[in-house]
Amino acid sequence: MLLMIPLLGALLSGFICGMLGYYVQRYGVTTLSFTIAHSALAGAAISLVLGFNTTLFTLFFAVASALLIGYLTSKSPIRRELICMGLFSLLNAVAILMLYMSSTNVLSTVQLSTILWGSVLAITCEKIIAIVAIAATFLVYAVIFKPQIDAILFDQKLAEAEGVNVKLHSTILLLFVGSAIAIILRITGGFLVFSLLYNPVASALLLSKRANIQQLISPILGSSVAIAGLFASFMYNLPVGASIALLSSVTLLLSYVSRVTINYMLAQRSVRSKEDIEEAFTVHL
Amino acid sequence: MQPIRGEAVRLENVWITYSGAGKPAIRNINLSIPFGVLTLIRGPNGAGKTTLIETCLGLLKPIKGNAYLLGVNTKDERIFEVRRKCSYVPQDFMKPPYEHYTAKKVIEMGLSSNRVITDPLPDYFQYELEFYAKELDVLSLLEKPIGILSGGQQQKVFIVRALIRRPKLLFLDEPFSSLDKESREKVTEIVVNYIKKHRGSSAIIVSHSFSKIEEYADIIVTINDGVITDIRFQR
Repeated sequence: MLLMIPLLGALLSGFICGMLGYYVQRYGVTTLSFTIAHSALAGAAISLVLGFNTTLFTLFFAVASALLIGYLTSKSPIRRELICMGLFSLLNAVAILMLYMSSTNVLSTVQLSTILWGSVLAITCEKIIAIVAIAATFLVYAVIFKPQIDAILFDQKLAEAEGVNVKLHSTILLLFVGSAIAIILRITGGFLVFSLLYNPVASALLLSKRANIQQLISPILGSSVAIAGLFASFMYNLPVGASIALLSSVTLLLSYVSRVTINYMLAQRSVRSKEDIEEAFTVHL
Repeated sequence: MQPIRGEAVRLENVWITYSGAGKPAIRNINLSIPFGVLTLIRGPNGAGKTTLIETCLGLLKPIKGNAYLLGVNTKDERIFEVRRKCSYVPQDFMKPPYEHYTAKKVIEMGLSSNRVITDPLPDYFQYELEFYAKELDVLSLLEKPIGILSGGQQQKVFIVRALIRRPKLLFLDEPFSSLDKESREKVTEIVVNYIKKHRGSSAIIVSHSFSKIEEYADIIVTINDGVITDIRFQR
């Protein structure tokens, strides 16, 4: 029973990150969500130093930065990657400065290491309920707006030309990403939370070319690496965030090797059938 | 200067520059396209035809000047609502072989901007889907994944998608690029009939290769090196 809550927390964190990660990749907002992940870290650092409720303040910071990024990228003539990298640098600097300027009491607390490296102890029933609520809300949103979301996933430019508010839907997605990150941050750690968001979908893209299969594989991989990382953390007394990030990177590497092998085998088969055709043609002549 | 009522598109001293490019893609463009006409935009490769069409749709925002679509400035927030009355067939329409959406689903997506999941498809959908699909010889392909169709077949599916939206303004960017002669003539006939049937609707076609459309075009705009070099009114 003691292990059930962390296990469920890891499973759900992996699932929601894998699920949202797929949309993040297909919407082309990877850089934006990367910046939001780091804004959540900055929020957590500020809350720690100022003594606010870390989860709530991180959530507020992540949501506010999602809205700000959504607004800036739709209004500014500057390329959105540049905006995001500028904000990313700023937020990282804020996070480090806040921690540097804080008292030694803060620097030695468990909360700080939880924010930076993640902790199994950070998984609570409340967080599990919050993750389920975010996942359920996202699924409801995805079902209600399925026609528009499908149009964006199929062809973003065409959807925009036909009057789908792509920027609004991208901002909504970023809000879900920001909320999820704010909750999961203390489980995986602020520096590694994005690995759970990107590595499963990157692996899924390598394992299958079909979008509907990728959509299915990504959350499954996310949950699997999160659970495996949790067990590795228990067994070898390692930080849970680093264990999850490492295993998700190994999964990505294995997926890459699988793709290269599959491509090689397909190419060999194609060469063989070409040779067969040529041989048949020669015999016929 | 405000756009005049009855103008489908109005461009006033429009300049467009792509991020990182030194030279503007189009310069000082002034153009007015009324309702109920077929406009052909022609010019060599790299002349700025696609930039012009995307500026009209508001996908590209002018760095100088103003663009109006159905009377609304493309920089206005209401541009999304206005775009719902338009259809677009892009030049780069080709989907990879692993794209899993069926041709019918792709056409259905064309109506997605106006509906949520609980809204039924409009009454006319099935009839017009079968009509246009039959006319363009893609009826038997509707249940197949779009990715496995040939370039020409995919282009026809996108044309059906554009027409089934019953647009007030139809933008077609190189719609004949992957079609054979017979299909090109069929598409021309369908577009001309569409404008006649849906009175007040306009079509803007970008083409550099097919001369047959010139016979039906009310306005022919020639663009070269980012500037309009000639506007000819045929009717």
